[in-house]
Amino acid sequence: MITIPYLTALTTYFSYGLLFAFGQLRDFFRKIFDWCRASNLQGYAPICLGLEDFYIRRLYLRIQDCFGRPIASAPDAWFDVVERYSNDNNKTLKRTTKKSRCLNLGSYNYLGFAASDEYCTPRAIESLKRFSPSTCSARVDGGTTTLHTELEECVANFVQKPAAIVFGMGYVTNSAILPVLMGKGGLIISDSLNHNSIVNGARGSGATIRVFQHNTPSHLEKVLREQIADGQPRTHRPWKKIIVVVEGIYSMEGELCKLPEIVAICKKYKAYVYLDEAHSIGAVGKSGRGVCELLGVDTADVDIMMGTFTKSFGSCGGYIAGSKELIQYLKYTCPAHLYATSISPPAAQQIISSIKVILGEDGTSRGAQKLARIRENSNFFRSELQKMGFEVLGDNDSPVMPIMLYNPAKIPAFSRECLKQNVAVVTVAFPATPLLLARARICISASHTKEDLVKALEVISRVGDLVGIKYFPAEPNKQQQEKGMIKVD
Amino acid sequence: MYVKAHRPTDLNRNTEWFTYPGVWTTYILILFFSWLIVLSVLNCSSGLAWTIVHLSHFLVTYHFFHWKKGTPFADDQGIYNRLTWWEQIDSGKQLTRNRKFLTVVPVVLYLIASHTTDYQHPMLFFNTLAVFVLVVAKFPHMHKVRIFGINADQ
Repeated sequence: MITIPYLTALTTYFSYGLLFAFGQLRDFFRKIFDWCRASNLQGYAPICLGLEDFYIRRLYLRIQDCFGRPIASAPDAWFDVVERYSNDNNKTLKRTTKKSRCLNLGSYNYLGFAASDEYCTPRAIESLKRFSPSTCSARVDGGTTTLHTELEECVANFVQKPAAIVFGMGYVTNSAILPVLMGKGGLIISDSLNHNSIVNGARGSGATIRVFQHNTPSHLEKVLREQIADGQPRTHRPWKKIIVVVEGIYSMEGELCKLPEIVAICKKYKAYVYLDEAHSIGAVGKSGRGVCELLGVDTADVDIMMGTFTKSFGSCGGYIAGSKELIQYLKYTCPAHLYATSISPPAAQQIISSIKVILGEDGTSRGAQKLARIRENSNFFRSELQKMGFEVLGDNDSPVMPIMLYNPAKIPAFSRECLKQNVAVVTVAFPATPLLLARARICISASHTKEDLVKALEVISRVGDLVGIKYFPAEPNKQQQEKGMIKVD
Repeated sequence: MYVKAHRPTDLNRNTEWFTYPGVWTTYILILFFSWLIVLSVLNCSSGLAWTIVHLSHFLVTYHFFHWKKGTPFADDQGIYNRLTWWEQIDSGKQLTRNRKFLTVVPVVLYLIASHTTDYQHPMLFFNTLAVFVLVVAKFPHMHKVRIFGINADQ
C-alpha cells in the first residue's frame, strides 16, 4: 500500500497530461511536414502503426540520458560510468572517452560476486582454459559437460529439492517453461506485478490467464473459487491444471511474497505453486536459501522453484528445481533445453564456486559474513532513509528499496543530480511501473561498506531536498539536524 | 493529506492509470482552469467561454476516447488494436464507476454551458449535438459497434 500526498497525485496527472499534449502537438506538426515531403516507400505498410511508439518517441527519448548508461568496469560497489553528451536534445547520445567513478546503487550485486572474488575468479578462469567460453551446442547434442551435471546437483542441493535443470538465460527460463507446463485448457493465476518474462511465457502457453491483486491472499482465494466454479471459458469443463505464479521478492516493490498463506490456499484448492526467486535466492534467508527459508515454508510444498543466477551469484542463467519426474519431463520437452545453447562453462563454474562460498564449503566463513552484511546494510539504509522523510517501499531484510518520486520531472532531476555527485541510481517510470508511481530503485550489496552507505545517504538527502521528494515529515534526530537539513516546500 | 494507492489488477497499461485516486479531481480542475484561460485570453462573456470549453472538450475527448484505437506501447503486441480507449477501460466491463463519471461530465458541462448562455440559439444547437454524440458513444449497447463502418479496421 503506497501513501501518496493528494496534491502530488494531482500534479503528477497534470504533468503527464501536459507532456502528452505537447507530444501530440509535435506529432501533429510532424505529420504535416511529412505529408509535404514525399516518401520513397510507396505501398509499404508503416513499421509502427499509429500511436504504438508514441511513448518512446515523445516521453522516453526526452530523458534518455538517465537510462542505459554505459559502464566501463565490473559492476562492483564503485564503478566507472562513461559520460555521454547529446547535440540534438537527447534524441541521439554520443559517448566520450571520459569516465567518472561512481558509487553503484543500481546493480543486482547482492552478495558482491560481481567483481573478482578470491575463490571464484581463479576457478572460473581455469574452467575457461579447460572448457572454452562456449559449449557451442545444445544440451542434448554435445553441450552437457561435467560442469553442467555438477551444477544441476549443486543447485538442487542448495535449494533443497530433489532435482534441478539449468538454462543459459534467466528470461528464457520463464518464457520457455510455462508453455511446456501449461497448455490450452489450463489456468495460470499470476500476481498482478509479475515480471515480463512470466507474462510472456503465460501468453505463449495458450492457457487462460487470470490476475490476482498483488500479494493479497484473500483475493487469490476469491479468484480461485470463481474460476474453479466457472470452469474453462465457453465449455465450462473443469480445468486441466491450475498453476499460481508468484515471485519471492518483487523487484519493483522490494516486498516479500506472502508465501505461507498463498501455499496454504493452493493446497486447499489443489493448485500448483510456481515460485520465481530471481531476486531472493542467495540474498535472503539465514543461509541464503531464499524466501522459503526466510518465511519458514517447506520446499516440498512449493511445486516448482525457479530462480536466476544473475543477481546473487554474479553469473548468468536460470534454473528450475522440482521433483525428479518433473525435471525428467522438462528435459524431454523444454525447447530451451533441446535447442538453445547450454550455459557457458565459466559461468557455470562461477555459480558452483559462489554457491560453495555461500554455504561455507570453501573452508571460510565469508558466505555467512556476506549474508549478515547484506542484511545489516539493507536494514540500516532503509531505516535511515525512512527517518529522513523519504517514502521507501519494501519489507525489512529485503535488499531492494524503491524511493518514490511520482512526478515525471523529478525522475531526470533526481537521476542527473545524483550522477553529478558521483552516485549512480536507477530510476524507473511508466510503463514499467504504474503511471503515478515512478521511483528510484536502490539495490544494496554486501560489498558496500558503511562509509559508502553513509556517503550515499548524504548525497540522496541533499538531492532529495533539492528535488523535493521528502513526502513524509522527517523524524527529528539531533545528529541530522546538526547537518543543517532545511525542508524545502 | 495522504491517499492510499491500491494496485489494480488491470493489465492494460493504457487504461490502468485511470483507476488511481486523484484522476477525477484532476479532470474537473483541468476543465475549470481551461475555462479561466479562455475567459482571460478571449475576453468574452462567461457563457461563450463555457461553450468553447464544452465544444473543445467534445473534440478532444471524442478523438482520444472514441476515435483513436490501440495503445501507445508496442509491447502489447497489438491485442488492443481494434478497441478504442473507451472500450478498453475497466477491461470492457460496462457501467462501472469510472464510466458513469465520464458519462456525467459532458452532461454537466452541457447544462452549465446552456444555462450561462441563456439557451440562445446557435450555441444551443452545437452544444446539444456535442452532448448527444458523446453520451450515445458511451452507451453499453455501443460497445464495439461501428456505425456505417466509420473507424472500422480494414
